[in-house]
Amino acid sequence: MNAEAAGKATKPDETEAAANRARFEDEALKHLDALYRTALRMTRNPSDAEDLVQDALVRAYRFYDRFEPGTNFRAWLFKILTNTYINSYRRKQGRPQESSLEDTEEFFLYNQLSGDEGDRVTDVEDTVLDRLGADAIQRAIDHLPPQFRTTVQLSDVEGLSYAEIAEATGVAKGTVMSRLFRGRRQLQRALWEQAQAAGFTAGSKVHLDGPPKSDSDTNGVVARARGGTR
Amino acid sequence: MINCRDCASALNPYLDRELSDEDVVQVRSHLEACGGCLHVYQFEESLRRLVKVRCRQQGAPEWLRERITVSLAMERIRQEQRRRPPEMRGAD
Repeated sequence: MNAEAAGKATKPDETEAAANRARFEDEALKHLDALYRTALRMTRNPSDAEDLVQDALVRAYRFYDRFEPGTNFRAWLFKILTNTYINSYRRKQGRPQESSLEDTEEFFLYNQLSGDEGDRVTDVEDTVLDRLGADAIQRAIDHLPPQFRTTVQLSDVEGLSYAEIAEATGVAKGTVMSRLFRGRRQLQRALWEQAQAAGFTAGSKVHLDGPPKSDSDTNGVVARARGGTR
Repeated sequence: MINCRDCASALNPYLDRELSDEDVVQVRSHLEACGGCLHVYQFEESLRRLVKVRCRQQGAPEWLRERITVSLAMERIRQEQRRRPPEMRGAD
């Protein structure tokens, strides 16, 4: 009887809400590293990334009542991160920097690194790419156009499924697939450029003496191609 | 059995574990039979691993975790103040 009386002291939905709020912090902070890394790719600036993650998590907390239990919490958090970025930070940062990466053939790195028949590489650890540190790989991702960048980050670094990325970025699953398709090809070229910039590829069959491609040559291609993915 | 062209197209969704069971069987049996495609697969798989492992070395700074804990606590106080009708305030 006493227990029953005690139970009536607070409304059941209020205690439940309090428990939910406590659970929110535990669950959300499990994803903090992934949210921060993704925010860093979005803003490309540690201080903005910290503010973005904080704003996104406070918003998520405020709207936690609207989260449907049993659905994907991680995708929901990333969706709020994306929306917070679009609403506040992208505007603040102005026009995103255009990428100068051109579209690339499939398996670009494999083809660059494999010699003639019988000289095939099967592991990046046996190649110059193994010398690329975290900074260089992140710089390569940062060179991708923004919508490809976030999609590639969420898939290749954070390990989200196509369906989760679709929810997080507010696009159809087919769009996720086409962004990954093109983003990954561009990433391979960007990784190669990082290896070149670090001087790791000297002596390879790639021409190092030519002038770098000017932005104006390739911006048009990227702009057209981007239109195609919408 | 699928050919090399189809296998190449399926390689990324295969690595993403997004193929149907049926398609997974198709890709696996092609990779078992075709050394060229197997090399590409192994290379791409190792590249994925490199990117993931290196990029995941970076995490959120510790102070961000603390900052967020504080801002969530502040938000919780704001919410509780808003939720309580004025006559209830100070009742406990």
